[in-house]
Amino acid sequence: MDFNFTQDENEFRQEIKDWLSENLSQRISNKVKKFQRLDKNDYEEFMKALSAKGWLAVNWPKEHGGTGWSNTQKHIFEEEIVKAGAPRIVPFGLNMLGPVLMEFGNEEQKKYYLPRILNCDDWWAQGYSEPGSGSDLASLKTKAVDNGDHYIVNGQKTWTTLGQFANKIFCLVKTDTNCKPQNGISFLLIDIDSPGIEVRPIITLDGEHEVNEVWLKDVKVLKENLLGEENKGWTYAKYLLTHERTGIAGVPNSKSAINHLKVIASKTFKNGKPLIQDPLFSSQIAELEIDLKAMEIFNLRAISSAESGKAPVMESSLLKIKGSIIRQKTSDLLRKAIGPQALPYISEQFDEGWNQETIGPEYAGPLAKQYFIYRKISIYGGSNEIQKNIVAKSEFRM
Amino acid sequence: MHFNLSEERKMLKESCDRLLNDHYTQYKNHHEASSSETGFNKNFWKECSEIGMLSALISPNFNGLGGTGEDVMIVFELIGKHLVVEPFLSSGILSITSLTNSKDIETSVLDEISSASKIYAFGHSEVDTRYDETYIKTRANYKNDNVFLTGQKSFVLNGDFADKIICTARFSGNEFDQNGFGLYEIDKSHCDIRSYNTIDGYRAAELKFSEIPAKELCKNSDAYNALLETLYAGAFALSAESIGAMEVCFNMTLEYLKTREQFGKAIGSFQALQHRMVDIMIEIEQAKSAVMLAAGTYEADKNTKYKNISAAKNLVGRSGKLVAEECIQLHGGIAMTWEYNLHNYAKRLVMIDHLMGDSDHHLEKFKLYSDY
Repeated sequence: MDFNFTQDENEFRQEIKDWLSENLSQRISNKVKKFQRLDKNDYEEFMKALSAKGWLAVNWPKEHGGTGWSNTQKHIFEEEIVKAGAPRIVPFGLNMLGPVLMEFGNEEQKKYYLPRILNCDDWWAQGYSEPGSGSDLASLKTKAVDNGDHYIVNGQKTWTTLGQFANKIFCLVKTDTNCKPQNGISFLLIDIDSPGIEVRPIITLDGEHEVNEVWLKDVKVLKENLLGEENKGWTYAKYLLTHERTGIAGVPNSKSAINHLKVIASKTFKNGKPLIQDPLFSSQIAELEIDLKAMEIFNLRAISSAESGKAPVMESSLLKIKGSIIRQKTSDLLRKAIGPQALPYISEQFDEGWNQETIGPEYAGPLAKQYFIYRKISIYGGSNEIQKNIVAKSEFRM
Repeated sequence: MHFNLSEERKMLKESCDRLLNDHYTQYKNHHEASSSETGFNKNFWKECSEIGMLSALISPNFNGLGGTGEDVMIVFELIGKHLVVEPFLSSGILSITSLTNSKDIETSVLDEISSASKIYAFGHSEVDTRYDETYIKTRANYKNDNVFLTGQKSFVLNGDFADKIICTARFSGNEFDQNGFGLYEIDKSHCDIRSYNTIDGYRAAELKFSEIPAKELCKNSDAYNALLETLYAGAFALSAESIGAMEVCFNMTLEYLKTREQFGKAIGSFQALQHRMVDIMIEIEQAKSAVMLAAGTYEADKNTKYKNISAAKNLVGRSGKLVAEECIQLHGGIAMTWEYNLHNYAKRLVMIDHLMGDSDHHLEKFKLYSDY
């Protein structure tokens, strides 16, 4: 056993840090740290800078313009961009569609789409979930009917994250309904500007607009935009879901959240002492910190076993579950740490440039809102219950 | 960074595991062992010594072959896996650590331990001290060049069959002082011994003594440091032991879920039970990770070392209890019987939290060694 990063890896970390301190604008990292709303340009500014450096496609092999980094390097990179307060790298084109294109797309599709993802020319959205198809994804109803050289698509997609910024959407659609649901699904690449598509906002419980509904009415999609073979879409969808999930535990995010919690708990008081000195409250933080440290090692163990060629499928599911629990508990304690200051809700506080005085300390504003929106972590990406089903099926063989 | 064992350690693990698999089954009912005259199997203890399981706990500075965090982890995970009641904790970790942290110790003393020719035991707990490090009421009286102890140690693992007992006693200050106490070696034959079995199948003793001759091992800050090292070494070893026992519980339960049928099918086909198994699985991986980290920093500065051991002991305290309770529940009635082996593991898992500081104790220590 060796818990240390190699010298090369430490130098790599330093290189990332140095680059971030020069290339991530203060304006954007301030917005991220204050939990302010990011617009399309904020994301693209950072992603284009990464792209110019050759660091955008972290999960791609070199031949397609990726970094070709090891899992450990990816982990280090992920840690540093979170620490620096960078916006998240929008994953739909890069981490979801990209690998599927490389594996199953035809030459023309690869040649056309991959560079466009890399240069941030296209913003992809994910068209998987439907109002009637959440955990049971294969039950989806959006239908593509063969009409010569094109399909006519009708249906509705939902929970389309950042779809308001997208110009493209990859969709799972039904091309055969006379068979087992999994065998009649195809994978289509669609222009969001196509006639018949409408993107409508869904406002989530925190009052924010991040996710959308996408309505498709008689949308014409040329057959050249079918990915892989007709009716094989389920295979591609599953490939996408199991690909590159070593970052799934969200260790860097939880680390910075716990640090934030400790800072806040030293500024609020109980019984005349900083809250962090209260035995009851500090014990809850400490327990969380112990859990997180253990999960960090668990995550590194998964990364290191992936490095030696074992796909960490079971570990990914366990880490997703534990990671979501830890993030949710942290947001729960953050909310509790500020007492009644959790109540004031001034939506404008989260707009760029808002410079009025906050009610209570500035750090209090986003905490309750965040607590509520973080309930999503155990729901999205395959709910925790679905993850348990996956583990039981693959590991228990019952 | 990697989490694999070196070739040498893999061999150590394999040979110990083989010995325990081949030979320990005959002593499997460890209640029998602990009800025997000695409280454990002397021949088997000798065999463990012969394949190097004891020298693996001793540093080369004291003529051993190991003593690192990884060595201790390997040995104690196997002890947990096979539920070994031989005195690895008492005559092994606790005595070895207190001796090697005392002044002027001759390696021959440790040779006697590692060759199984002498059994040592370690006594610190008194009737009402729980896990406190410095709450010591047993008295040490210095007269001229000699020292005599008076008091009571209520929980001395293997204290009835040990040749020598190492114990704490106070010569000055009040009951909680960090200074004013020492570590002493006493002879069992001078003590009034009440031997008893523990609920998890071990043998322990209550020792009472009055003005008996003792040999000073160290005192004041040396004794405090040696005691901390000893208690933390014990906490670490028990954490590793817990991992071995948790894995057995998990596997037994999984096997049972596959074979036990109700409503016409294996009960493992029910989602409610599958999900609980996944919850246990997560916590075992978490605990294993914490123990690995503690092993990896066992040779680090004391602050880091103690912080990570406290984190591990806190976590195994919580997960050990979860695994014990859930595995009993998932089994159902059969787990309530004496005959079915699960209860031995479940008891050990819960009782590990009663030794060398429970999860609450170590949560406080974790805070102490972190920036709270």
